[in-house]
Amino acid sequence: MRALRHWWRRLSASRLWALLRKEVEQILRDRQLIKLLIIPPTLQLLIYGFALNPEVHNLRLGVVDYAQVAASRELVSALTANRIFLAASYPSSERELARQVERGELTAGLVIPPNFNRRLAAGDSAEVQVFIDGVDANSAGIASGYIQQILRRFRPQTGAPPPTSPLRTQVSFLYNPGLTSSWFFVPGVIGLVLTLIATLVSAVTLVREKDTGTLEQLLMTPAAAWEILLAKILPLVVLLMGDVLLALLLGRLVFAVPIRGNLLLLLALSGLYLFVGIGVGIMLATVCRSQQQVMLTAFFITLPMVQTSGAIAPIESMPTFFQLLSLLNPLRHYIAILRGLMLKGVGLEALWPHALALLVMAPLLMAISVSRFRGQLS
Amino acid sequence: MRRVRILAQCRKELLQFRRDRLTLGLAFLLPLLTLLIFGFAIRLETKVIPIVVQDFDRSPLSAAYTDRLFATDQFRPAPWRGGGDPVAGAIDPGLARAAVIIPSEFSRRLKAGQPVEVQVLVDGTDANNARVIRNSIQGITAFFGADKELIREPPPVRALTRLWFNPGRKESLYIVPGVYAVVLWIFPSLLAAIAMVKEKDKGTILQVYASGISAAELLLGKALAFLLVGASVAVVVMGLGGQIFQLSVVADPTPLLVGTTLYLAAAVLFGLLLGVRSANQNAAVQGVSLVGFLSALLLSGFIYPLSNIPPPLSLVSALIPARYFIVISRDAFVRGTGWAGVWLDVLMILVLGALLYGATLRSLGSLQLGDGGEGGP
Repeated sequence: MRALRHWWRRLSASRLWALLRKEVEQILRDRQLIKLLIIPPTLQLLIYGFALNPEVHNLRLGVVDYAQVAASRELVSALTANRIFLAASYPSSERELARQVERGELTAGLVIPPNFNRRLAAGDSAEVQVFIDGVDANSAGIASGYIQQILRRFRPQTGAPPPTSPLRTQVSFLYNPGLTSSWFFVPGVIGLVLTLIATLVSAVTLVREKDTGTLEQLLMTPAAAWEILLAKILPLVVLLMGDVLLALLLGRLVFAVPIRGNLLLLLALSGLYLFVGIGVGIMLATVCRSQQQVMLTAFFITLPMVQTSGAIAPIESMPTFFQLLSLLNPLRHYIAILRGLMLKGVGLEALWPHALALLVMAPLLMAISVSRFRGQLS
Repeated sequence: MRRVRILAQCRKELLQFRRDRLTLGLAFLLPLLTLLIFGFAIRLETKVIPIVVQDFDRSPLSAAYTDRLFATDQFRPAPWRGGGDPVAGAIDPGLARAAVIIPSEFSRRLKAGQPVEVQVLVDGTDANNARVIRNSIQGITAFFGADKELIREPPPVRALTRLWFNPGRKESLYIVPGVYAVVLWIFPSLLAAIAMVKEKDKGTILQVYASGISAAELLLGKALAFLLVGASVAVVVMGLGGQIFQLSVVADPTPLLVGTTLYLAAAVLFGLLLGVRSANQNAAVQGVSLVGFLSALLLSGFIYPLSNIPPPLSLVSALIPARYFIVISRDAFVRGTGWAGVWLDVLMILVLGALLYGATLRSLGSLQLGDGGEGGP
């Protein structure tokens, strides 16, 4: 107990402590910084979470039914039953249908030939034509897959159940049985938001001091450069951890994303990742002279980081070159950790490669940028 | 309003812009970089998905089934060898996206006509791709069943599917015209915002006011300057984009020309508006990057279809010019219907641009009447 008190007295008398107190007070008085820490992350998380939805449903289908029989109407209702397609219009001719697809009023078209019923009755297989607007290649591919699947099961005159193949698949979805798409995006967006905010905040605070010349004043005090920097970085880490908690809380409350893994491990690795963001920020501060340049160059760095991280588009679907490049991207590893800990509920036994990558990258980046910054100061 | 003054203001702005080397460089480099990264790295459709097949049967029939799974470029074997639980071994660490487990007696039971269940475990983390994986495994299984004549009765209705506009399903045809919209919104507005706010920061705007130029003349001069900058960015980006991603105008080019001009004007006015309204450069740049970037990227239908945006946000999305420009751009480069298909979108950009002009003019006017403090250094 006495040792602790002694230690405390020494700490509170130390220069580092004085510097830390100065920084904290400065931050608390900076309304704009506090706003920057709360408003953009919240907005980004909400908008990304709600707006990114890759589901393919309610595709507008135009039907040209030359047959006009019960079987053809059954086919239409089979296609529209699970809301993937929506029978939006019944053009009178193929030409009219083509015109509507061209104008983008319809996404898909179905043409049922006049001999549809005759061929079905004869036991032959009837052929229908399906047109899909291929501009959105991804949705078009998914839609065409659904059509094939529905037609495979379709049997007209529903008395007879579709003949069952003896070979069946029993599909179960792990980690996200309801296939909620926001569960995929929210961890990615948390990583994205933290990268943006950590980089910006650290770069802006340092550049501002450089800009106004207050950093030189600090340097003239007996404090060492490392003490000054440490006193700047530590409060930022604490504040940004607040952002981590805010993001996790929003994910939990608004999007009901579970945290199945170890929360402490999640927080520890998030803390580690913050050093990556701050390291990038300090690096930016060494390159830029004004806050405006910081903002522009931050775009330059964070945009490729975000795009090759798998936050929005899955990494597997990128070209090989970008996949390899993404291995060097700390955000990619952090997002893998977030998804692993939040959705999969795995631990270090599965995530150690990613944790190791962060453990190497964070100190390395910090060391390089801090030494560059100190070099500029002296 | 005098044309001479507008042109003079425009010339002054361009001279100033040319002197700032860093901004000039970034003005052209950043859009190109964005185009390349978005154009190459955003691929929504997953191909060559790593999966694990656990074959407990080890018969010629199960081997044939495994071969059929890997026959297209949809799946590839995951780098995972060894027995045990494929979930803990391959799916948890992310080595495989799915595991297909073929039970023992697969072959014997099938030959005897008894039902067999192949268990498929799919990583649901990425919900979209999980659905794609399920659909294609089911499709391949059905095809295998029909091929081996396990099903006596073929499906009575077959579809002859044709993809319009993009028969090869090249995703770049979808992404790249959208990137044009994102890039041509963000960067012109960013540059305009910075220029506007710089003038306020340095206090030079007071000199401008003292010179007797009216708010409308000032605004039009600045807007014209950045419209020219934006137009040259557009020429560079669309020119290089066309070369790299092999995209060319397939329709009447006039809607694209008119649409792009109006769209750039709206972007510049948006930037100027934020510049006038924000207290300092930081706030302006943050405003553009947050509001502009998010809305152009997420609420415009650039990545996923517009119809998927839920109600309160979808109303906001109707106010976003990028959404209309994406339609124009996709039409010009892919669809090719010309004015008949896009006149409404061009009109909407015009309306939104006019609204932005009015709002900017009002803010600028109120500033000029001595709304003190805000404009001071």
